Amino acid sequence: MISGTASIDELARNAAEIEAFGSEPITLSGVTGLSLIAELRRGAREEVLPPGLHPIVPPAMSLVAWDVGDSPWGAFSAVIVRVVCRSGARARTFCVGTAASTDDAVAGLRSQLGFPAQRAEVALRRHYDGVDLTVASRGEAGDSTASRNGAGPMLAVSALDPDPLSVGDLQQVGSMNLAHTPLGLRLVQVETHHIPSRVERLAARIDAFDAEAWGQRLLDPYWVVSCSVSLEDIEIPAIRFVCDPAKPAAEGTERVQ
Amino acid sequence: MKFGIFYELSVPRPFSRANEWLTYHNALEQCRLADELGFDHVWAVEHHFLEEYSHCPAPEVFLTAVAAQTQRIRVGHGAVVCVPEMNNPIRVAERAAALDIISNGRLELGTARSSTWTELGGFCADPDDTKKTWDEFVRVIPKMWTEDDFGWEGARFEMPARNVIPKPFQEPHPPMWVTVTTPGTELDAAARGLGCLGVSAAPFAEQERRTAEYYRRVADCDPVGSFVNDQVHTLNFLYCHEDYRQAAALGLPMVGAFAMSNAHLYFTREAYPTRAYQTLGNAGAALRNRAGPDGAAAADDPSAAKGLPEGVGIGDPDHLVRTIRKWDDVGVTGINFLLNAMEMIPQEQVLDSLRLFATEVIPQFQTPAERARPVATPTTIPDVSQSNTATSSTPTGASR
Repeated sequence: MISGTASIDELARNAAEIEAFGSEPITLSGVTGLSLIAELRRGAREEVLPPGLHPIVPPAMSLVAWDVGDSPWGAFSAVIVRVVCRSGARARTFCVGTAASTDDAVAGLRSQLGFPAQRAEVALRRHYDGVDLTVASRGEAGDSTASRNGAGPMLAVSALDPDPLSVGDLQQVGSMNLAHTPLGLRLVQVETHHIPSRVERLAARIDAFDAEAWGQRLLDPYWVVSCSVSLEDIEIPAIRFVCDPAKPAAEGTERVQ
Repeated sequence: MKFGIFYELSVPRPFSRANEWLTYHNALEQCRLADELGFDHVWAVEHHFLEEYSHCPAPEVFLTAVAAQTQRIRVGHGAVVCVPEMNNPIRVAERAAALDIISNGRLELGTARSSTWTELGGFCADPDDTKKTWDEFVRVIPKMWTEDDFGWEGARFEMPARNVIPKPFQEPHPPMWVTVTTPGTELDAAARGLGCLGVSAAPFAEQERRTAEYYRRVADCDPVGSFVNDQVHTLNFLYCHEDYRQAAALGLPMVGAFAMSNAHLYFTREAYPTRAYQTLGNAGAALRNRAGPDGAAAADDPSAAKGLPEGVGIGDPDHLVRTIRKWDDVGVTGINFLLNAMEMIPQEQVLDSLRLFATEVIPQFQTPAERARPVATPTTIPDVSQSNTATSSTPTGASR
């Protein structure tokens, strides 16, 4: 089985810190969710994962966007960029970068769930015939229109022609977030339970993706596989498992509660 | 009980021309020995792009070599992926018929639709359509084999009338099967009168439930072919050694490594939301319904070992006899064995395992007379030995 080869220190540059693991679930209500899968080029396979995780063939990126009506952190929007992987033999994703629209959401996502969140302008707009998603870095001067290198948005996705699916047709996969925890630097396994009321599949296009702005220059989502949008509530259970990023899951997993 | 060997042709990393060559040629040597020892079937899959797990995109080529190097064992071409971006049904019928002729009527044809995005995406196939195209393929292929003037206007395939030649050697045609990964596919097989070729592990109780339902439904089926193939075969691993601990020491890592190589695949349901794929294929099959002492589902715990499938064929001969009796008891009519994975077990030991199994285990389930007979099929092969065209190639493999 092939394993990740990325430097854990490099991956941990923007790692969040969880001071104490929570014991209660977090509920996100009234969520418009977008999920996009895109294949990556082969250079982003082992090279973007820590040794404790395993890539898939072909490498793929899983992008999730939430427009949240209510949560413990209030209303917010967020985008999570992940690489599809395996923890042990389990289907998981490794979180590369996260952008959220409010300071409260950034703080909550970092301190409670270990997402490497940064503040950004996130706009997820659903229309009768499609969805648009844009993410723009606020920049040092608060410029909300450009990415860090000033070349354009961090992310722009446009999707058209919604095709209704059954609510059970959408597969959700948990996220492994590299974060500093009371147990040390760990991959924090974040599971999400989705209660969708509507799911649609769309034809999507990635109009812009600034890999450096997301913290992983090797990501090159060149081939969109699928895109779906859902209306849902999301429950995020309290963290149950963390893994040593340097060890395979069979050896490096610790139960939190 | 029938016994077969089954090939994914998994190749160890680092990939090299030599490693692929070795995997293929070791497999051919195993097939020759299995033929001599009285195994009934050799199956080879069709997979594309599945690095390490399966380097077997052209099973018909491998099986042609098997057919040419063996006398008795039946050759299972399966499963052909019934997705038009990968295979045109006319070409499937033609290739299979040619292989049936070459093998003197020893062909079994398996059908499938692929469960991975790795494969479907590589061919730009639409996952929504694969169940429909599979259904159309299994209906047209037996007609192509048996009708001299065949045309079709279907939902996913059409052709003007032609005589698809050659016709298979077996009359009316070779037995047809469906590979069963997802629970419920066995019912699709039963409804169409197709054999059930299990390719993922199920516990005894689950297999018994599925098999009983399969037999109940196949008894009242509307066969797509000219006859009903109502056999249920399951997939297993085989490593047989006189000493149980040695068998486990070498065999169990092979099972684990094969399962982990399967985990690298990108299953369609993960990549593409669709009602056509309701499970993650083989991934996590052993985890469903397992829970830890505190109720945590095993599927959530990354450290939880997938565990060995129940009834795995690793052990000493006595253990394997007991294990196979359980499979027999739940209604399985055949077991196909993976003999190796990524060449982890040295070839000589694979061959020794085959010999020991054939000497100590198979006789507990087949009489010497049964083992000496050509492998039974649901069909009758014409005796061409008296015809003008047949000389030294009298069929020996498939008549009963």
